[in-house]
Amino acid sequence: MTDEIIPNKSAEAGLEVIQNTMEEFLAASDVRVVYGEPILHDDTMIIPTAEVLCAFGFGIGSGSGSTSDENPEKPSQGSGSGGGGGGRILSRPVAVVVASPEGVRVEPVVDITKIALAGLTAIGFMVGMMFRMSSRRHALPDIEE
Amino acid sequence: MSVIKSEIKKGDSRQVGNFKLTPMNQVLSVQIPGYHAGWVWNRPKAVVVRTSDGQERVLPVTDVTRVAIWTLLASGLLGAILMGLLYRVR
Repeated sequence: MTDEIIPNKSAEAGLEVIQNTMEEFLAASDVRVVYGEPILHDDTMIIPTAEVLCAFGFGIGSGSGSTSDENPEKPSQGSGSGGGGGGRILSRPVAVVVASPEGVRVEPVVDITKIALAGLTAIGFMVGMMFRMSSRRHALPDIEE
Repeated sequence: MSVIKSEIKKGDSRQVGNFKLTPMNQVLSVQIPGYHAGWVWNRPKAVVVRTSDGQERVLPVTDVTRVAIWTLLASGLLGAILMGLLYRVR
């Protein structure tokens, strides 16, 4: 007598969750994600804009097996499935669209901290190269045999 | 199913006074066929402004922070390479 394999309902539910998550991630490509809700102030309307970067990945697997070869008198069967995944959404303000009766203009949003960090990294490249070259110049000459 | 896809999308227009604003965004998506993984980069591209007299103007949305970061990093790298070359010549 062998045990019947019962369809794994949890695996189907897991797949549905993954499908929904993937659809949510793909919704990140919509225009409404990048342009925020307009803010009205008197005659002026402000629309915030942001860039959105998202990455995701998941994997699923299932398998089944039996022990009929090892124990022919009392074979047993089993199956299992599993899955996992992960993702991340990053958002950063880019600019603000200001629309007033006088006209429409785009005001950039400047992240001073990030620019300063990039500047320090650039200086680090140059200082590092300078030290490397000067230490090579002041190095003791090789002893000739 | 394509691996790398780049497209420009237009959003719903909004009327503000005499101006009609249409937002545009650029989407770069990467999906590897056969693998359940992907990458989506969505950024604002421009705003199309249409006046009541029919004139149309495209205002680009520039990411000043990104431009500044890449410029600084590129100049730092270039400066380091130039410095190395100068030391070698001396």
